[in-house]
Amino acid sequence: MAEPEFNEAEVDGLLRRSMTAPIPTLSPEFDQHLMSEVSLRSQPLGRYQRGLLAGYGILSVVACSVSMHGQGLDWTTIAASILGPLFLVGVAPALRLASRQASP
Amino acid sequence: METDVQLVARAQGGDRQAFAELVRRYRDLVFRLAVSILGQGFVPEAEDVAQEAFLKAHRSLCSFRSEAEFSSWIYRITFNEAVNLKSRARYRRPHANETALAGRMTSEPGPDEQVETAHRDQALAECIRALPEAYQSALRLYYWLGVGVGEVAELLDVPENTAKSYLHRARSLLLGMMKDKGYSCGGT
Repeated sequence: MAEPEFNEAEVDGLLRRSMTAPIPTLSPEFDQHLMSEVSLRSQPLGRYQRGLLAGYGILSVVACSVSMHGQGLDWTTIAASILGPLFLVGVAPALRLASRQASP
Repeated sequence: METDVQLVARAQGGDRQAFAELVRRYRDLVFRLAVSILGQGFVPEAEDVAQEAFLKAHRSLCSFRSEAEFSSWIYRITFNEAVNLKSRARYRRPHANETALAGRMTSEPGPDEQVETAHRDQALAECIRALPEAYQSALRLYYWLGVGVGEVAELLDVPENTAKSYLHRARSLLLGMMKDKGYSCGGT
């Protein structure tokens, strides 16, 4: 049997006939769910969590410094290697945001 | 009415109302984009993708540069989220497939014709799923969700001519695939 001839207009017609499922919509509670999730996730850390995080950070820095000093690095290099990345990660973005908000 | 830039600046300063307004502005388009990538059987997942995209945007709002368009940014996040989810869930069958087929079977006359149409539509759906993601999305946005070419281009973050070319190439590829499967596009 000979293969039927096709053209793009026929595919267009086929797609129009086939894709007739109802268009879905977002649930009415979408905004409410999303904003409650935003509130939940943007809550600042509690006193206990902050203490725990600070303790962990300090302990890591001390352990890391002692270990590096044990390997023969001087304290200036150790301080630069710890404070440099900390500045880049923590302080620089905050400064950039502040300068952007200050500019008109 | 406040511009996106003003709303983004306020949201970056911690104003949740401003972020809520951005959500109201873009939620439907973000959801349409997600559903166009995931397909009609994955509507609940598309809603999850839309939610996750907005949460990611909120989390990264501080790093968002206001020279860029908020719309392009949120569409890009949505596209990546949906494609990632799809690659994780590729083994799953869509929720609505059988229901949709059953609905079609009862609404059309002639049992042979119904079966033939259902099989052809099934084959077409399989061919569409084999296309590149951007082509699939463009097809579903245009043919199913009734989105115009200009808006398809905006959602996929490409120029309008590229969106037209996506649709053209997708149709050409489908033509070949359907031909390989032995289906006539013109017939019912």
